Amino acid sequence: MSSTFFLIGIGFFISIAAWLLFIWAVKSGQFEDPEAPKFRMLDDDDEQMQKNKTVKKE
Amino acid sequence: MVTCDHCLQEINKASAITVTIDDEPKQFCCHGCYGVYQLIHNNSLDSFYHQRSNWVPGPPRTIHLDTSAFNDTITSSGNEHQINLLLSGIRCASCVWLIEKFLMKLEGIRSARVNYATHRATITWVSEIVTLSTILDAIRSIGYQSHPCRQNSTADVLASEKQELLLRFGTAAFFSMQLMLFTAALYAGFFQGIEYRYKLSFQLISWALATPVVFYSGFPFLSSAFRSVRTGMLNMDILITLGSLSAYLYSIAMIARGGEVFFDTAAMIITFILLGRFLETGSKLTAGNAIAKLAELQPQEARVVSLTGETTMTSITNLHDGDRIEIIPGDRIPLDGTVLEGEAEVNESMLTGESNAVLKKKGSQVFAGTFSINGRLSITVTGDAGNTLLSRIISTVEEAQSRKAPIQGIADKTAGYFVPATIVLALCTFLYWKLSSGNNVTALMNAVSVLVIACPCALGLATPLAILVGTTAAGKKGILVKGGDIFETVSKTTTVILDKTGTITRGNPSITDLQDFGNSSSFLQHVASLEAGSEHPSGKAIVAAWNDKHLKVEQFKATAGKGVSGIIDGITWLAGSKTFMKQESIEIAPKHQQSASLLEHEGKTIVMVACGTTLAGIIALIDDLRDDALQLITALRNKGLSLHMLTGDNPGVAAYIATQCGITNVQAELGPLEKALVIHTLRAEGKCVMMVGDGINDAPALTEADVGVTLGHASGIALESASVAILKDDLNLITTLIEGSSKCFSIIRQNLVWAFSYNLIALPLAVSGLLHPIVSALLMAASSLCVVSNSLRLKKI
Repeated sequence: MSSTFFLIGIGFFISIAAWLLFIWAVKSGQFEDPEAPKFRMLDDDDEQMQKNKTVKKE
Repeated sequence: MVTCDHCLQEINKASAITVTIDDEPKQFCCHGCYGVYQLIHNNSLDSFYHQRSNWVPGPPRTIHLDTSAFNDTITSSGNEHQINLLLSGIRCASCVWLIEKFLMKLEGIRSARVNYATHRATITWVSEIVTLSTILDAIRSIGYQSHPCRQNSTADVLASEKQELLLRFGTAAFFSMQLMLFTAALYAGFFQGIEYRYKLSFQLISWALATPVVFYSGFPFLSSAFRSVRTGMLNMDILITLGSLSAYLYSIAMIARGGEVFFDTAAMIITFILLGRFLETGSKLTAGNAIAKLAELQPQEARVVSLTGETTMTSITNLHDGDRIEIIPGDRIPLDGTVLEGEAEVNESMLTGESNAVLKKKGSQVFAGTFSINGRLSITVTGDAGNTLLSRIISTVEEAQSRKAPIQGIADKTAGYFVPATIVLALCTFLYWKLSSGNNVTALMNAVSVLVIACPCALGLATPLAILVGTTAAGKKGILVKGGDIFETVSKTTTVILDKTGTITRGNPSITDLQDFGNSSSFLQHVASLEAGSEHPSGKAIVAAWNDKHLKVEQFKATAGKGVSGIIDGITWLAGSKTFMKQESIEIAPKHQQSASLLEHEGKTIVMVACGTTLAGIIALIDDLRDDALQLITALRNKGLSLHMLTGDNPGVAAYIATQCGITNVQAELGPLEKALVIHTLRAEGKCVMMVGDGINDAPALTEADVGVTLGHASGIALESASVAILKDDLNLITTLIEGSSKCFSIIRQNLVWAFSYNLIALPLAVSGLLHPIVSALLMAASSLCVVSNSLRLKKI
């Protein structure tokens, strides 16, 4: 029956990790501008494209 | 050398594009200019070329921007500097992309990030490589204006408040979810039996999980409750604190005694109420951003004329009373002032909401944020940057918004009676049990259970839930209700104030009377062809009334604010106001004079038309009543509401419209702040005022009113300052809003009655020490369920 306590312990650590992730997300401004990222995702970054090309050549 | 007929730039004749347009040779520097000229010409808008009196050849000049206005907003560390700018001109995501990419190409820029939602840019640069003025010039060169963005503005305070609330609410929601897991196990254990070691450990875990919710997430309530106890002003926060804290402490005591715990009650109250506050701050923040956008209308720099007559660009913060500035066509006026010389039509729609341009000449007052359409003005500044009509409007809107405290009102009032009553009851319980049984622990336990039972769970849920369901249902119909208390206020409304232009009337005039004195069959065709070059709304209405071929007009001339003239088939035609006719020495026969004044008396705008030297006809225009206006007015009157009409228009038109729709309380020629004042007086008389309007000029009035309502095509700032925004252009939705809100409010009342009657049954049992903890938990759940299902009835408004 001690497996219950063991599982509770694991659950506790996972949830604390998720909570810390949430705090980090709020503090680093992840929720500040919910509009722009969906557009930013679509814009092809020139430098990255060049990098991708060189990777492909290799 | 010749000059380009479109952009006036000097070009080599050999490289010029020569085209024959209407038998006249025209030269263009490039195909671009040729294309634009063709476009303008084909739409008979050639008067553009006559009106541009102060055209500077070539592409728009770049002016070196004075950075002194920005200095106090820079934060520096070493040689690295950071600035926050408010950018105007951002329309879409590509703008954000362009600004970021363009700035990153500049040497010395560390990072450039533009927030699409708030139009704010955060730029970091190294001072040795690039200067701020280079950065600002770069932004300007691609067509965006930068404004300094002060850190202590209302919007910033709200933004940090929102982030803090998000942290607190997120934490509360997270731990409450974990907590419910163990609470469910404990409930099951109560009915089916549970081993003591599991019960104890689950209770201890629950305690651990509830602690951060009560003390971290609930901190704003704890501190506010503490403050209100010290000042003696009881509020809702005391009830929340009392409820959650007593449940928390009671549960700890119960762990020691081996009883049942109520940590979930303690945590849930705080989580739900935090959610409400978080959503409320979000809607306040959007309103704050709208105010910042209104401030963008005021330019940051002005053309100053020195004593020697030289003009230089300088920041408006350096300008004071009595300085002389110059405005060229298309410029926004940076400061309030008096016209010294020059004549121009100025668009004041952002202040007055009326789309007609206003003629400004020597001695006229001009206001910051308005812009000159077609003339050069020389202005003496009155007051400084912080004292313009625009900035006063902004501060009025800000003030009115901060004064409102949604939801809190009702709950605070209740708390004022409820808190002392509960405390007295708990004290009585304690004393009774102490005296009758002499057992301190039992007495304390019973007293605390009274507090727990009395906790505002249903009370806290009753109002926000009904409002949430109500607002969602209204939203589906196109009525956006911003904030919780609005439904209640709407249902209490006694007085409805309607703005004329755009609410009762359509907002664009149409022809009502056409008196043709001559016998030319093509009277309207002549006038429409003549007015084709006019920008005036009356002129546009006349053009719109004629949808056949236009005649060719020569020597077209528009006199600002008076009328237009031109030659059609060799005869001079004139169209304009009565004063314009007098000025052009056209005689008006007494009977025509009489019929004109008769039409004017009916609230119509008169355009007189002369052919050659005789009066050829009179055209009367009127801004029509909307089709649904009468329906709305009848519906409102049937509800027993008193109706008022306010307008910035002249009294004649106002009186005419008022009699047409049967409103007796009319006030005309009111400015934005005067409208707000009228509402203020009405409110001071104890009336609950609803204001319906749509222009920026209505913004102060919309915020001043108990409920501000905007309609469909409203301007941005009006949308944000109103508490209700109706997105469809349908006046009948106002009736729906009023009916829906009274339904919503009656459901809230039912919820409250239910929540209180639960307390009424449970409290005596708790006082008598009879109430088993688990029964009280069930009762709580049942009461919440009733409140929830009752609120869901609002889905059909």
